Amino acid sequence: MHKLLLAFVFLISGCAQHNNNRLADDLQFQSPESILSALQETKPDDRDIAQYYLNLGYLQLLSEQFPESISSLLLAKKQMQSLAATSVSENIGAGTINETLRSYSGYPMDRVMVHNMLALSYLFNQNIDAARVEILQADVAMKKLADKDSLSGQLVTTHLFSAIIYELLDERSNAFISYQLAEDILTKRKMPLPEGLKQGLLRMSQKMGNDQAYARYSEDYPNLAKQVGGNEQVFVLYFNGVVSNKIQTSLTVPSFNGQQLIRIAMPTYPQRIPYPLHAQVADGQRSVNSEVAEDINVIAREDLDEEYPSILLLTTTRAIAKYQVVQETKKKDQLLGTLLNLATLISEVADLRSWNMLPASIQFAYLETNSNDIVVTTPKTELTQISLNQGQQHVILVTNLSDKALHYQQ
Amino acid sequence: MKIHTSLLLVIMSSVMLAACSTSVERLDAEQQVDLSGAWNDTDSQLVAKEMIEDSLSRPWISKFVTSEGNDPAVIVGRIKNLSHEHINTNTFVANMERELINSGEVQFVASASSRQEIRDERADQDLNASEVTRKEAGQEYGADFMMQGQINTIVDVDGTTQVRFYQVNLELISLKDNRKVWIGEKKIKKLISNSKIRP
Repeated sequence: MHKLLLAFVFLISGCAQHNNNRLADDLQFQSPESILSALQETKPDDRDIAQYYLNLGYLQLLSEQFPESISSLLLAKKQMQSLAATSVSENIGAGTINETLRSYSGYPMDRVMVHNMLALSYLFNQNIDAARVEILQADVAMKKLADKDSLSGQLVTTHLFSAIIYELLDERSNAFISYQLAEDILTKRKMPLPEGLKQGLLRMSQKMGNDQAYARYSEDYPNLAKQVGGNEQVFVLYFNGVVSNKIQTSLTVPSFNGQQLIRIAMPTYPQRIPYPLHAQVADGQRSVNSEVAEDINVIAREDLDEEYPSILLLTTTRAIAKYQVVQETKKKDQLLGTLLNLATLISEVADLRSWNMLPASIQFAYLETNSNDIVVTTPKTELTQISLNQGQQHVILVTNLSDKALHYQQ
Repeated sequence: MKIHTSLLLVIMSSVMLAACSTSVERLDAEQQVDLSGAWNDTDSQLVAKEMIEDSLSRPWISKFVTSEGNDPAVIVGRIKNLSHEHINTNTFVANMERELINSGEVQFVASASSRQEIRDERADQDLNASEVTRKEAGQEYGADFMMQGQINTIVDVDGTTQVRFYQVNLELISLKDNRKVWIGEKKIKKLISNSKIRP
C-alpha cells in the first residue's frame, strides 16, 4: 500500500513537464532540428498531447518539414478544440492532487497562434488557399475570445499574416481591413507600428482608391508616402529567440498545530530579459530592420495573469482538502497519515505547461526592390543571400535559431 | 436490486454523456435560424445534385441543342474554396461530374489533368500499340462550356454556439465567346452548439 502510494506520487509529480521545459531552454543553443529529434524521442503523457504537438509542429515548420508540421498542428488544434469544454473528472483531479492532472487545452494565445503557424506551414508548402482557410479560422477563434475589457487572444500577427496572404491573393479590401485591425491592436497595446505595417496601410488604401484614408496615412507617415517603390514585394518575418518557460514558486509551512506540513506551489514567469535583436534586409541600395509586431513574452504573461486568480483559489482549496484528508488518516493510522502528508507535499506541483518553444517575439519588415537578390542578416547568421528570380511577391521567414530562410514566391 | 442500480447508473451516465456531446442540426436554407457544422459529404452531394438539376432545367441547354443540333459538351473547371474550412473541392467536383453525366443531357469532357494523362497514354500507344488498336491524336472532343465556381462561408460566433452560412456559386461559361449562360446559387445554414462540460 505504502509503495503504491509513493509510486503514484512519483507519477504525478510533473517529471514530463520538466523534461519539456529543458528542451525549450536548449532551443536557445541548439538547432530546431536537434531539438525536434529529441522531442520526437519523448512519449508525451495523454494530458500533454496538445502541448506536445504544438511544439512539434512549430519545430517541424522551422525545419522545413511542412507536411509533417501541418499534420502535427492540425492534431494540436483538434485536441485543443475538443478540450475547450470543462472536464468534470479532470477538475476533481486538479482540485485534489495538482493542476497537471488537467489536460493541456492551450492558453488563448495558443488557440489563435496555432492557426498562424498552420497558415505559414501551408504557405511555405505552396498551398496559399489552405493558408487562407487558416487565417479565416484564426479570425473566428479571436472572435470567440473577444472581450471588450481585455486583449486576451487578440493577436497582431494574425491580422498581419492575414493582410499578407490577402495581398498575395490580391484581395485588397480584406488586406486593408487586416492591416487596420493590426494597427488597432498595436495602438491599444501602446506599441509602435512597424514601418512595414504603415507601408501596408498606405499601399492598400491607395490601391483601393480610398483617397480619404490614403490622405490621412500620408499625413501621418509623410516620409513613407514619398518613398519610391520597386517591382518586387518582400515581406520578411523574423522569429526572435524563444519565449520564457514558466517556473514554480512554492511555499512549505507547518500547520498551525504543527502536526503536518502544508505546501502550495504556483506557476510564474521569471523576470523578463529583453531581446533587443532584429533582422536586417538589404538590397544593395538600402536596408530595413525588422520591428516587433508581437511580443509573445508579454502575451504569455498576460494569459497567465488572467488565469492567476482561479489558480490561486484552487491551490488554496486543494491545500485545505489535503490537510483534512491527512488529519483523518492520521486518526486511523499515524504512519500512513505521515506518509500521506509526504505524498501531498510531493504531489503539489505547479502546472508549468505552455507552448514554450514559440519565439519570444515576431518581427516584421517590408521591402520593395528592383534587385534580383536581397541579403537577410540575423543575429545568428552573417548573411543569407536570397534570390528573387521567380515571381514578384515574396514571403521570407527567418529566425535566429537556425540559418534556414523559408521562402514563398509567386 | 443490484442489477437495477447498475442499470440506472448506466442510463444516467448515457444521458449525461449524451447531454455533453456536440449537436448538429440540418436546417432549411430559407430558415432564418442560422447554421454551423463542418462541410461534409452530404452537403457536397446535396449541393451538386440541386445545382446541376437547376442548370439542366434552364433554357440555355435547349437553345444550344436547337442552334447546334447536338448536346452541349461541358467541363468542370476550378471550384475555389473561399470558406473557413479545409474543403476537398475534388469531392464536390466529382459529385457534379456524376450528376452531369448521369443526366444524359450533356456530353462530358475530362478535366485538364485527366486529359494530360490520356494524352500521355496516346503518345505511348503511338510508339507501342498495334496499328489496329492505336488511337490517333487530334480527335478530342472540345468542350462548349466550362463550369466554374466558389464556396464561401460566413461564420457567426457567440461563446460555444456557431452559426455557419455556406454559399456555393456556380456559373457556366461559353468557351466560344465567354458568355455566362447560367449562374446558380445554393445556400446552406447550420447551427452548431458545443457543450460547455465534458466527462
